Amino acid sequence: MSTQQILDPTISSLSTQATKPASVAGGPLRVESLDGLRVGVLENTKRNAAEILDALADGLGERFDLGQVVRRTKRQFAMPFSDEQLQDLRDEVDVLVIGVGDCGSCSAAAVADGIALEANGIPAAVICTDAFEGNSRAMAKLKGAPDFDFIVTSHPVANLDDQGVRERGRALVDDVVGRIVASAAAGAAR
Amino acid sequence: MTAPAPTGGPAAIEVADDAQSGSSELDPAAARAVAEHLFDRGWTDGLPTLPATEDEVERFLAHTDRDPDEILARLPQLDKQATVRDITVHAIMAGCRPEYLPVVLTAWEALSADRTAIGGAWQSTSGPSPVVIVNGPIRQRLELNSAGGIFGPGFRPNATIPRAIGLTVRNSLGVVPHELEQATQGVPGRWAQCFGEAEERSPWESFATELGLDEGADAVSVILARTSEFVDNRHFNDPIEVLRDFADSMQRTGPWIFPTSACLLVLNPDHARVLAEAGWSKQDVREWLVEHAGKTEAQLAAVGKALSRGDQRFDDDHFHPVFAEPTPEHLPIVVGGSPNAAISMVVRVFSRWPGKAFRIH
Repeated sequence: MSTQQILDPTISSLSTQATKPASVAGGPLRVESLDGLRVGVLENTKRNAAEILDALADGLGERFDLGQVVRRTKRQFAMPFSDEQLQDLRDEVDVLVIGVGDCGSCSAAAVADGIALEANGIPAAVICTDAFEGNSRAMAKLKGAPDFDFIVTSHPVANLDDQGVRERGRALVDDVVGRIVASAAAGAAR
Repeated sequence: MTAPAPTGGPAAIEVADDAQSGSSELDPAAARAVAEHLFDRGWTDGLPTLPATEDEVERFLAHTDRDPDEILARLPQLDKQATVRDITVHAIMAGCRPEYLPVVLTAWEALSADRTAIGGAWQSTSGPSPVVIVNGPIRQRLELNSAGGIFGPGFRPNATIPRAIGLTVRNSLGVVPHELEQATQGVPGRWAQCFGEAEERSPWESFATELGLDEGADAVSVILARTSEFVDNRHFNDPIEVLRDFADSMQRTGPWIFPTSACLLVLNPDHARVLAEAGWSKQDVREWLVEHAGKTEAQLAAVGKALSRGDQRFDDDHFHPVFAEPTPEHLPIVVGGSPNAAISMVVRVFSRWPGKAFRIH
C-alpha cells in the first residue's frame, strides 16, 4: 500500500500565500463626538444605498454639529478599496459610514473596507443586511479581525420605497452613533 | 505541450499485487476510506474526489510547460491565489486525466482575464457557472464531446475539467458555500459545463478563429453563465422564425437585471446549417438578434424592472434592447451538439465576458 501523504488542497504551494491580515488592534475605533468632524458616507451603487446613506447623514447632522459630510461612491462594489480610494479617504474623512452590503460579494468587500479603514486609524461603521451576516463574518475572520463590529440591518433594502428608505436611514442613526462614538449616550442627549 | 503518454490507471497509488497469480487487485475498502477522508476534511463538492499526492502532481505537471509556481487564479479581495501546481491538485481531485491539465490551466488563464470572475462572481448570489468552450484538434485527442448531449453527462473531460475549476474556487480561493459563497440558488450545472465546438459541422469559421486565433489552434474560452434556456424549434418554415424564437428567449425578463446583458447562443449544427444555407453569416445572425431582442419600458415596469431611475426617464413604449452591441463580447455564437434535432441553447451571460479565446499550450 502507498504511504504517500494526501496533499491538503487548501494550502497553496506558494509560500507567500500566507499574507499578513490587516488586523485591527484592540476593539473598534471610536471618536468622542462627531462635532466638527468630516463624516464620510460611501455608497456602493446598490439600489437605495445612496438614498439610505443620505437619510442617515441627515439624521447624524441633526444630532451633531458635523464639520462636513463627504460623499463617495465605490463603483466596483465587489472589490475592496484600491490604494487610491483608501488614500483619498485617509485624506478627506475623519470617520466613514459604508453601505449597503446587500449581496454576497459587496457585503464581504464592505467589511474588508471597514477593517482596512480602522487599520488606518479611521473609525468605520459598515452596514450589511442580515441575509449576509454569515459571509460578512467570514470575511472579518479572513482579514484577521473576527470580532469586527459591523452593523446589521434587515434584508432587503433594494425595494424600499422613498418613505421606507428615509425610515431605514433614520433608524440606522443610533446604530452608527453607537458604533463610532465613544459617548453615544451623550450624543443622543443633544 | 509534452506529448501525452497513454495514462489509464492510477500511477502514484499502488494497488495490492497478488504476486502468486500475477493479477492485480484493487482495494475497495481503501478507496472508500480515502474518499471519506477527503469528505471529512471538507475539500469536496459533495461528490467523491481522488487524493492528490506529490507523485501524482508531478505526473500531471509533465503535461504542461507552464511554471508550476505561476499564479493563474487570484481573488484579490480575499488575498487568495492559486498556482499552476495548486490547480493541478484540483484537476487530480476532480478526476481529470493528466492530459486534460492544459485545458484546465488555460480555462483559469481565461477566467483571470475576466473582470467578472476576478470580481465578485464566485461570491455572487447569482451563483454563475463557467461554460468552458474548447476549439481545435485537442477535442479529438481528449475525446471531449462536441456532439450529442454536450450539456449532459457521459464524457470524462467534459465532466471533470469544469469540476476542477469549482474545486479550485472552493479550496484555493476559499469560497465555500454558506460562508463566502452566497449563491441564492445557483445555476443548474454549475461546475459541469464544458464542451467542444462542433467545428466539423459548423458552416462558419470556428469560435476561436472568430476571436482572433489561427485556424486549427487548440483553444479555450470561458463564459460565466446565469441561466440557460432550451429553444426547441424544429418545425419552422423560414429561418427568420428560428431567429424570432431565439430573440424571444433572449428577451426574457427573468434574468434581466442590468440595463443590457449578453447571451451565448449555442446553435445546434442543424440550425446553423439552415441559417448558413439561407445566406446568413454568423455576424448576420448576431446583428438580427441584437436589433430585435428587447422589451419596452412598460413591459419591464410590469414586472418591476423599469429602467427609469433617478433623472433618467423612459417613455412607456421606449424599446430597451437586450444587447448593447452586435459583437462577440455581447452575443457569442458557438455551434455545438447533434444535428439530430433543431434544438439550440440560449445561455444568459453573467455581466460581461472579455470576448477572448486563449491558446492551449
